[in-house]
Amino acid sequence: MHLFAQDLVNGILAGGILAVVALGFSLVWGIMNIINLAHGAFLMLGAYLTYQLFASFHVDPFLSLPISFVVLFALGYLIQTYLINWVARAPILTTFLLTFGLSLLMVNIALIVWTGDQRGVTTAYSGANFTIADVTVPWTKLFTLLAALAITGIMQLWLTRSKTGRAIRATSMDIGAAQLSGVRVAHIYAIVYGLGAGLAGVAGTLISLSYAVNPGMGDPFLIKAFVVCVLGGLGSVEGALIGGLVYGIVEAFATQLDFTIGTQHISGSGLQDAIALVVLLIVLIVRPTGIMGKATA
Amino acid sequence: MQLRPIAALAALALAVGLAAPSGPAAAAGDTIVFGSPVSLTGNLTKEGHLTQEGYELWKNYINAHGGIKVGGKTYKVDIKYYDDESKNDTAAQLAERLIDQDHVNFLLGPYGSGTSFTVAQIAERKKIPMVEGNGAAEKIFNQGFRYTFGVLSPAKRYLEGILQMAKAQKPPAQTVGITAASDAFSQEVAQGAAAWANANGMKVVYNNKYPDTATDVSSIISALKATNPDVILNAGHLQDALLVQKGLKEQNVMARAYGYSVGPDTPDFASSLGKDANDVFGGAQWSDAVKYKGVPGFYQSAQEYAKAIDAAYHHRADYHNAESSAACLAFQYAIQRAGSLDPEKVRDALAKLDVTTFYGIIKFDSRGINLFKPMVVNQIQNGRLTTVWPALTADGKPKYPAPPWGQR
Repeated sequence: MHLFAQDLVNGILAGGILAVVALGFSLVWGIMNIINLAHGAFLMLGAYLTYQLFASFHVDPFLSLPISFVVLFALGYLIQTYLINWVARAPILTTFLLTFGLSLLMVNIALIVWTGDQRGVTTAYSGANFTIADVTVPWTKLFTLLAALAITGIMQLWLTRSKTGRAIRATSMDIGAAQLSGVRVAHIYAIVYGLGAGLAGVAGTLISLSYAVNPGMGDPFLIKAFVVCVLGGLGSVEGALIGGLVYGIVEAFATQLDFTIGTQHISGSGLQDAIALVVLLIVLIVRPTGIMGKATA
Repeated sequence: MQLRPIAALAALALAVGLAAPSGPAAAAGDTIVFGSPVSLTGNLTKEGHLTQEGYELWKNYINAHGGIKVGGKTYKVDIKYYDDESKNDTAAQLAERLIDQDHVNFLLGPYGSGTSFTVAQIAERKKIPMVEGNGAAEKIFNQGFRYTFGVLSPAKRYLEGILQMAKAQKPPAQTVGITAASDAFSQEVAQGAAAWANANGMKVVYNNKYPDTATDVSSIISALKATNPDVILNAGHLQDALLVQKGLKEQNVMARAYGYSVGPDTPDFASSLGKDANDVFGGAQWSDAVKYKGVPGFYQSAQEYAKAIDAAYHHRADYHNAESSAACLAFQYAIQRAGSLDPEKVRDALAKLDVTTFYGIIKFDSRGINLFKPMVVNQIQNGRLTTVWPALTADGKPKYPAPPWGQR
């Protein structure tokens, strides 16, 4: 029972981070139909920014959250305006290739600037924890989860209430009608891509607290973002949140699975990824648009 | 039609990024050219760069001292690298390219057991000898390959020393919990440690694996904590070692000793974790405290070697550097003894090689693995890596048991 509760907590804490990782990826994909392979690289840049601010100026990682967002938003906005907008309506393979190229470029620049060394953001309070009813909760991960929930909440409010947010949703629903109503689509696209990059940067900041910072760190998160996004439903804020939490919890419980087939002993924790993908398959069979996805024509 | 040039540009950037060789072009004539696919990006980037440093240090030494004498002629050496992105299949493709297109004479191994295994298959097919210093999984050597040689002690030995040490302390450790990444090397390390523990009266209370791309290991740590072992071992690589060590503190897991197969020996471990890295043990192929006296032809002691690494790369020599240079040394002495650059003759000379270097004995069994060199155990003490086991090589005493988190 104690391990069950601990795993549930572990899963939720890990899932909160995955939700933020997937959020930006999901928005870009859902609204612009661009599978942004540079998402992992933006995340990595956010993590390095946090590391550098921490190492050089002792800026607390949680305080660098807005800095990561603003810097990466600006980078994303510029990339969309001057690069991706040229091919935004091209077949999906073109943007796929372009974002892959951008990712390679950013990873290699990071290799030159920061080398391949593993860096860590280890604060004075890193690893501090408290225990309730035999369940250990690390403070940093709890605050990371709270930050993740706050970010998702703000995003949801902004998308539904603000003028720009509504313009974004309008563009995603019907680009022609949005243009006729005076929405500057190129500008909206740049904002969405900037948001995607900014959210990836924020995720990178949060991840740097527990995961080693290195130029290739974005890769496993990119793959997870992909799964979480499909699991939760494309392009929706609550989809990313639910998808992230489900993925985190499934992975946590998969760790404790142990079974024997014939003489072969199989450990569930080595198969975390496979088990998470099986859950994805089941969800897709039952609800092809994802847990929170809306049916499309 | 604005998209075409951009798309072409993107494709070009892609092609350049993937294919750009990071070494000088293969020279002909009086140069022996080695080829190596190595992890310059991907999850083994750091270890890949350390490997490359070990190769480069050797190359620069040899070229500065005239070259290698083969028969009556002296040859300079050159090494051609490609980035395998830490991917097994890519490493194999690049090895093929090094042999077929770049016509390298010999192969130096990539970093890691996975990549070494796929490259070994290419070496075998093309009958080009490879000496590798960074793939310790015995899987590589149990295939009957004739052209692959490894200067490393095998994976199963990595954590044995830490268990021996912990068992010799007061009070002696009796139980052990193991977490391991799912790659071939880490699995062999974990199996070797578990087998040693069982054979020597220690009880393995936990032994489980996580995917080598894991981004969160908190649940496996929760399960490990529930079994309350005296010694906690991790078989993995630097990136997951950092993840595990942070996770252990986050869940306040207390043990008498914490040991890692890869991690503490790399300076990044202590620099990333600060005080939380203290008192951790690492199994190592080599340390700058070992006391071998090598034959002439290269730096002859571990201390001279460490000085040279520090001068060239401004960090403390770690065992990845040393084992990589040792792979080059195996070629150097084998080529000299063969008196020829003929792949077959060099292969035979490698098989018969028996030489002591700054790194220890380099000698291969019939499978091509080096069973003749012992491992050492290091411990991070006050931020500094200290060799603590075996007692003969040690430059310090093990600190045992480990103090609680927050007092390190």
